[in-house]
Amino acid sequence: MKNLTGLLVVAMLVAACTKKDAGQTGEVQAQATTKLTNNELKIGISQEFENFNPLIASMLATTYMQRMVNRTLTVIDADGKWVPQLAKTIPTLENGGAKVIKIGGKEKLQATWELLDNAVWGDGTPVTCDDFSLAVKIASSPNVGVGEKEVYTQVEKIELVDKNPKKCLFTYEKAKWDFYMLGTFYPVPKALEEAVFKKHGTQKEGYEKNSLYSKDPTNVGLFNGPYLISEIQLGDHVTFIPNPKFYGEPAKIKKIIVKLIPNTGTLEANLRSGTIDLISTLGLALDQALAFEKKIKSENLGYQVLFQPSTVYEHIDLNLDNPFLKDVRVRKALNFAINKEDLTNALFEGKQQPALHSITPRDPWFTADPTKVTVYKYNKREAERLLDEAGWKPGADGIRVKDGKRLSFTVMTTAGNKTRELVQVYLQNQWKQVGIEVNAKNEPARVFFGETTKKRAFDSMALFAWVSSPENTPKSTFSSKNIPTAKNGWSGQNYMGWSNAAVDKTLEALDTEMKHEKRIEMVHEVLKAYTDEVPVLPLYYRSDVAVIPNQLKGYRLTGHQFPETNVVELWNLE
Amino acid sequence: MSETVNTPPSAASLKSIETSQTFFQIVYTQFKEHKAAVLGAYLIVFFMLVAILAPVIEYATGTDSDSQNVFNRYKPPFSKIIAPQDVRENAIQNFIRQNPEESAKIQTSLLEKNLVQPVRPEDALYDWVNLEKSKSIDALHAIETSKKDELIKMVNNFQSFHLFGTDELGRDVLMRLVYGTRVSIGVGILVAIASALIGLIIGSLAGYYGGIIDTVLMRVTDSLLSLPILPVLVVIAAIDLKKVLGGLVSVAQNLFGDTGGNLAQEMVNNIFSGGKESIYKLVFILCLFSWMTVARLIRGSILSLREREFILASKTLGATDLTIIVRHMFPNVVAPLLVSVTLGVGDSILFEAALSYLGLGIQPPMPSWGNMLFNAQELIYQAPFLAVLPGILIFLVVVSFNFLGDGLQDAIDPKTVRR
Amino acid sequence: MTTYILRRILQTLMVIVILSYVCFSLMTLMPGDPIELMISANPKITQEDVVRLRAFYGLDQPTYVRYYNWVSEIAKGDLGYSRTYRIPVTEMMGPSLKATFILSMGSLLFAIMVGIPLGIYCALKPNSKMDYLVNIFNFGGISIPSFFLGIVLIIIFSVGLGWLPAGGYQTTGMQYSSLWNELVDKAKYLILPILSLSVQSIGRFSRFSRSAMVEAMRNDFIRTARAKGMSEQVVIWKHGFRNALIPLITIVAISFSSVFSGALITESLFAYPGVGRLIYTSIIGNDFNVAMISFIISIAMVLIMNLVADLLYGAADPRISYK
Repeated sequence: MKNLTGLLVVAMLVAACTKKDAGQTGEVQAQATTKLTNNELKIGISQEFENFNPLIASMLATTYMQRMVNRTLTVIDADGKWVPQLAKTIPTLENGGAKVIKIGGKEKLQATWELLDNAVWGDGTPVTCDDFSLAVKIASSPNVGVGEKEVYTQVEKIELVDKNPKKCLFTYEKAKWDFYMLGTFYPVPKALEEAVFKKHGTQKEGYEKNSLYSKDPTNVGLFNGPYLISEIQLGDHVTFIPNPKFYGEPAKIKKIIVKLIPNTGTLEANLRSGTIDLISTLGLALDQALAFEKKIKSENLGYQVLFQPSTVYEHIDLNLDNPFLKDVRVRKALNFAINKEDLTNALFEGKQQPALHSITPRDPWFTADPTKVTVYKYNKREAERLLDEAGWKPGADGIRVKDGKRLSFTVMTTAGNKTRELVQVYLQNQWKQVGIEVNAKNEPARVFFGETTKKRAFDSMALFAWVSSPENTPKSTFSSKNIPTAKNGWSGQNYMGWSNAAVDKTLEALDTEMKHEKRIEMVHEVLKAYTDEVPVLPLYYRSDVAVIPNQLKGYRLTGHQFPETNVVELWNLE
Repeated sequence: MSETVNTPPSAASLKSIETSQTFFQIVYTQFKEHKAAVLGAYLIVFFMLVAILAPVIEYATGTDSDSQNVFNRYKPPFSKIIAPQDVRENAIQNFIRQNPEESAKIQTSLLEKNLVQPVRPEDALYDWVNLEKSKSIDALHAIETSKKDELIKMVNNFQSFHLFGTDELGRDVLMRLVYGTRVSIGVGILVAIASALIGLIIGSLAGYYGGIIDTVLMRVTDSLLSLPILPVLVVIAAIDLKKVLGGLVSVAQNLFGDTGGNLAQEMVNNIFSGGKESIYKLVFILCLFSWMTVARLIRGSILSLREREFILASKTLGATDLTIIVRHMFPNVVAPLLVSVTLGVGDSILFEAALSYLGLGIQPPMPSWGNMLFNAQELIYQAPFLAVLPGILIFLVVVSFNFLGDGLQDAIDPKTVRR
Repeated sequence: MTTYILRRILQTLMVIVILSYVCFSLMTLMPGDPIELMISANPKITQEDVVRLRAFYGLDQPTYVRYYNWVSEIAKGDLGYSRTYRIPVTEMMGPSLKATFILSMGSLLFAIMVGIPLGIYCALKPNSKMDYLVNIFNFGGISIPSFFLGIVLIIIFSVGLGWLPAGGYQTTGMQYSSLWNELVDKAKYLILPILSLSVQSIGRFSRFSRSAMVEAMRNDFIRTARAKGMSEQVVIWKHGFRNALIPLITIVAISFSSVFSGALITESLFAYPGVGRLIYTSIIGNDFNVAMISFIISIAMVLIMNLVADLLYGAADPRISYK
């Protein structure tokens, strides 16, 4: 009996606490949001960041902040259009800024980039072509551990035009139409970094360790964006102040602090208690954002939740070497049996869209036209018919059998990702209804991506996402040359083992096709084959979410690899 | 030693005491006096029964533990979910399509007995399906049909009651908790037994013999205690048991020829059917990482006991090491052992859930209390019950095991016996 | 005694060397080394690139060679660079080690100071109302995972009442006018993490001290001491508590083994820049130099604390002697 009374006391205490809490949050919040001014804005992120060397940094959180302090020649804006940033205009074949030439029998491309006249580094030194040359030089060095080297190595040389240090002629090693996409690398200040590279560049990893970005990360001469870094505390926060030498519109907010809150469950609490004022896209999960949006409405909090469809594509790769999956009817049946509309409406409350294929709606290449691609609408009877046709007949326990074998698959995904696990269980249930048994087997992300998908070690299905960017050729995931094998050192991302000669050919031709309309046609051709042969089960396109205070103006989510901090100078709290 | 002056009991009376009360009887009588411990024992038995009888409970309540209802997620406790009209009509439409003749028969009998009053006679079944649950079932009982069971099941599905609400996929939380008992109680008991056994053996060997045995065993214990667990777990997660056992299969093939090889292959395939692989890994990890505290505690106590007079006495009397350890030392180390083992139960229930974040626990959709608790943490505002309910169950299990431990300690400790 | 200690220290060093090799191999065994991750991010990397990059990072050599190279660097006094952050390990780990040390030791001390007296109090009045109440509290502390307790504490004290900050280790960007101000500000940020980290240990310590003390107080010599007319205080502390010490020493020593891993959850929950999180990210990001140094620190700490425990056994019970 004593036992029970103790329990009751505990239960009552808990109840009392939660009640109290609900009553008081409103008032505290009201104070927290009204006092925001342009003096300070505190942004919460939930991912780790590293040092700011633009050649080496690769973490998402660093990219997010890098865009406040450094600019590139071009970017994609929030509307999905390519716009110049450090350049005056984007050179194209049409405006004469770029041309295809032949050097030594090979087709190459030359483009003239003219830099903004008033573009300067934080210490007043002008940004010149030499800064780009240095970036290419450092990044191409074998002693520097740059991840994506191709961005740099594809630039064969950079020359001055008319001896104008702001007018650069880039020669690209291949005549590819998408050169300006790859012209998104950052310049490095020659005045500061050249000496470092000369001194330490011959040593392995010598440049990385001795670069001023590591040794003196708040040096104003290292940055050319609207803000400068005034303080870095790795693992905790970064403080930004406006760059007085900035050549564009002056920044309005006098101090921005980006604070790392590693646990997404406490982001909301930190926001409501005033530790942060804004939750960036690198913060809440969709589920949390949906719940918080409801609370904002019911408690009338001064925030709004932004949802932005992004270029992330969630899907299931089918291993086409699986004997059951070799039959296209089984693959189609799997596709027909999943109700994606219900899935997105129920689990994501319609904030994420069902996927048709690998190209996201943010992309100019997207199409939902049923004459161009095959669209699979949920149709249980069609799925059952296809399975019957393929010879899979319902067995005693409802699972289909053929030649004494059960129609059973294993769907693998990253363990600990709650949304994926939910989707996985939802799909299991739907497939069970048409007589397909699907078991789950989840692994830590490292094992899943480092071993299972890479070596195609999943026995039938792998559920994960591709992050792409607009107008990105799907060659790496579709071409049969990119099927990972022991022979090619497990390179390539065609984990399905999909091989279609026509698709291979079209993808090769796509790289050098200079006409926009023709490219779209070619991509649709590929998508048609992709949706006809179903090597992949498309699930949904993900959305980015952010929570901002109502009074913040000029904040727009982009949904692609160039985050909203691109236009940080436009943000305004007053 | 004792200064109390007692008349020494005669040999006969001593004999009668020993025969009338065995060790277990003494423990049992002592244990019964500890009310909280008895209550704890009952609770544990109750949970074990729930775990064993989960399918029976599922059948008896008529709630399917796996059935999802994604448009009714996060419903609060005591929710009644009634299917909307379109769901009902779709269901009956399907039924009519599959059983056209039987449907026509039912339709006529429904009309004959005037159980429904449709505007048009062909809508009779649609009208019936939209009736209130009790009425529609009454109507069914009033007519003759071979498909009665199927229709009753259909009607039952239209209305479901969720005592503890629904979870993130609209599944019944009560049934999830019932099935979760299997994993959580199983893990708790497994770890309690494994840690007690391994810890007791290693700790007493090290403590009693000392010297090189002590050095080796304790350095192994220390190593396991200090080993960084995350890389160990990731490596274990990456190990493909099928490949490892594939090696064993080929060994079997070499030894016993093809029949042996095939038999071994069959066994391996059996073991891993239905994603059981991760369960074996789970058991292995739980056993591997659970016993160190117990071993260290036992060793510490035995180090001290070893030098006590009664141990010296039995040694001089020629008792074997085994007798000394089991008969004389174990009863005296029971206190720290029981506390550590019973505390470990709660830890292991939560540890199991943490492991599933690395894919090493049970795989979805199988539930466990720890998993349910972990999954609820992000939405503690929206659906607090999803966190509170498994939390309370874990708390109850921890309380039960610990009080059980207290009771056992009082009952076994030789210093309290017959006092 | 001295030879025993020397021998144990020697053993400890040996175990550290062996375990560091084990950890090194574990790190290499984990799938997804940096090159593999790079390949999967960039399909255009050719087989030649892979070979070049492997050589660049020394990944083409067998584990023992890499281990040997690493040890030689350490022997030279160079702890190396963090590959993720590209700054020296010492520079990076120093402040976070200090932060974690304050947090962990603070909560350990707090847990000992609260848990052990609670347990003893219960043991002296077993099965009383107070005993049950304290026990229920302990069980609550043990069954609530620390992340959950942390979230509840934040919701109550930061969001609800607004008394304490929700996360961080000091007010960001604040200039301190005096040392006192600094201490007060930082202390505010420590209260909730210490509380959430220590509740479980309080339950644990209090359970162990209760059971050990109950057991000790049943010994014959307690009755003898009481019969001799000794004061209750002397009986409890000199005779009872001393005999209850052995399991307590063991359990406190063992609790050092979870200093880093236990701190991880609390640190991420309260956005506290400690070493637990750093270790986690270094393992996930394959940052060898950081991960290995932290493994060695934690291994050494556990081994040394267990050595200390063994020595303390002797102090608590003079019958225990080491040869």
